[in-house]
Amino acid sequence: MDLTVNGTRVEGSPGAGEKGELVLEVDDLNVGFPTDDGMVNAVRGVSYQLRRGQSLGIVGESGSGKSVTSMAVLGLLPKTAQVTGSAKLLGEELLGLGDAALSEVRGKRISMIFQDPLTSLNPVYTVGFQLAEAIRVHYPEVKRAEARERSIDLLDTVGIPNPSQRVDAYPHELSGGMRQRVVIAIAMANNPDVIIADEPTTALDVTVQAQVLEALERAREEVNAALILITHDLGVIAGHTDDVLVMYAGRPVEQGTVDEIFYEPRMPYTLGLIGSMPRMDEERGHRLTPVHGTPPSMLKLPSGCPFRPRCPMSQDICAEVEPDLLPIGSTGHVAACHFADQLEGKRPEDVFAPDSTDPEIEVAVESEAPQEPRSQEDM
Amino acid sequence: MLVFTIRRIVMMIPVLIGASLLAFVLVSVSGDPVADQVFILEQSTGEPVPQETVDNIKERLYYDRSLPERYWLWLTGIGETNGDIGLLQGEWGPSIEGSAIDVGEEIGSRFWITLRLVLFATVASIAIAILTGVVSAVKQYSKVDYLLTFIGFLALSMPTFWFGLLMKEAAVQTNNAIGSTFFQTYRDSTRGFHGNGWEVFLDAIPYLIIPTIVLMLTGYAAMSRYQRASMLEVLNSDYVRLARAKGVRNGTVMRRHALRTALIPVATFAPLGLATAMGGSLVIERIFGWRGLGAFAYDAITHNDAFAVLGYLFISGVIVLIGILISDLMYGVLDPRIRYE
Repeated sequence: MDLTVNGTRVEGSPGAGEKGELVLEVDDLNVGFPTDDGMVNAVRGVSYQLRRGQSLGIVGESGSGKSVTSMAVLGLLPKTAQVTGSAKLLGEELLGLGDAALSEVRGKRISMIFQDPLTSLNPVYTVGFQLAEAIRVHYPEVKRAEARERSIDLLDTVGIPNPSQRVDAYPHELSGGMRQRVVIAIAMANNPDVIIADEPTTALDVTVQAQVLEALERAREEVNAALILITHDLGVIAGHTDDVLVMYAGRPVEQGTVDEIFYEPRMPYTLGLIGSMPRMDEERGHRLTPVHGTPPSMLKLPSGCPFRPRCPMSQDICAEVEPDLLPIGSTGHVAACHFADQLEGKRPEDVFAPDSTDPEIEVAVESEAPQEPRSQEDM
Repeated sequence: MLVFTIRRIVMMIPVLIGASLLAFVLVSVSGDPVADQVFILEQSTGEPVPQETVDNIKERLYYDRSLPERYWLWLTGIGETNGDIGLLQGEWGPSIEGSAIDVGEEIGSRFWITLRLVLFATVASIAIAILTGVVSAVKQYSKVDYLLTFIGFLALSMPTFWFGLLMKEAAVQTNNAIGSTFFQTYRDSTRGFHGNGWEVFLDAIPYLIIPTIVLMLTGYAAMSRYQRASMLEVLNSDYVRLARAKGVRNGTVMRRHALRTALIPVATFAPLGLATAMGGSLVIERIFGWRGLGAFAYDAITHNDAFAVLGYLFISGVIVLIGILISDLMYGVLDPRIRYE
């Protein structure tokens, strides 16, 4: 689905490069917000490389800087934000560009999908208008009728039934899942090099999540883009990304391939996240191991490692020195922990205590037992 | 849309009847014009008024009837052959001034004078409120925002009568300083309400400027704050962020995505400014010596002229209802989520 005008491919249309080509390179990105109480360092030293066709998952708790990282790249942060570092798209520096220059990049070469589909679309315009706008803002020579045709194609691609009718619908006439698919269609409209999806399924029903992720996956393949998937849902990460970046308190704490992160985590926080995820392959009655406590205030980070107050493995050195991201092996897997070596082969329950203080879990497990076996129809 | 409009207009009838009943009761209990007239007569002649005269006054003002009967007469005129009462027959009821004042005729000619003032002030205040509100929101926490906020609160807290006098004085001083007579501060026009059309309007412009500014200020401030809040909400919305993420330039985002949606709440609220302006015109016409509905109402109230007060209340009720109708229709034009079925 190349963007074509009168049968010929539009000159300079992105999304045309080789698979594996380096498209986005973020290096030592720092974002700070000045507030009355002092500087909030929302992102500290994030670096990653993204190749065409690759997908990178960014995980972390709320407030860990996941979204700010990607919005900084597109210059979508408020004017007060202080951004330093570098973000290069195909070798071109993006940070520090003006609104006009960034507008050329936004939506055309890097596009973004936001969390809440119910509020992402302007309620007073039809979805067709908003799709056509995304195309025509970058290709003014495309006629209205052509833009409309392409909008219908795009809606079809993301799996919206009756696209030729839905194109004239207003957002409030569509369900949440459909609206998110419209947003995905907008994101893929100009064959971008990079699609950034910021929690694309968080606001959606579980049954709709899978459909939307499938639409996203199809969109990515269709336009041969690289994908950044920001989420706190490890299940989504496992199924849809190649690499994972784990963030904590604005800092990357572990980075590696999906297999490395899930099977050989070397940072207690990552291990804790995995341990707090319900798993289908564990036996019934298996206890989750929660990470106790809450993330630190970004205004007043603890000394040393920011995860120290919640970490069962913390020692004196953790309060003194903030660990750097150090390589584990030679595959590019990096982790920021003084005791990364000790975590080799550890399971979550070896480090974090299972939650046995909550009697409700006990009850829940027992009351569920008599319902077995479940018939297929119930599912 | 047409069906909706017609239905809304039809629905106005019971609202008007209800409002007029309420107004009628309130006017009736707030004073007795007959006693007033008798008192005046007594003062001027210096001797007691004969019962016969009192009965005559009562009969002329229909105060010999019970309240429900009087209301029915005022509304329909059915059952009365005098031909001076009955709204449905185009008669607004007798004034205490007798045949010197025909309430209907007075309202008819004064209506245009007041409409000129109220309409200009409302439109100008809406325009300025939207402009300042949007600028304030876009430049939030800047010096411009603080200045506009300051002016807004100043306007909000200044009493109309005082500001009116200030402006009047300022206009006179300006005229003296530059040796012109452009800003007129007394009367509504040289022609009064005799004559109609374009010429009267041109003639009225110098008289219109200062009162319009004064009246405008009463409605503008609140609306401007409202517009600012609504614009801020939209500016922080996800769809404005998505529009920017699509690559739409900032200016276009403001115009096409932010302003259009931010206008919806204000557009529905703004035509009600007509009602506020109608109220404000009472004071303003008094200050500037206008001969419009406001001055008419003021005189009617001070002289306890029951049917004249009712006439004024009825007309302002109609204007308010028209304002509400306009706001309902605006809502539908601006917001596709509203459907008229």
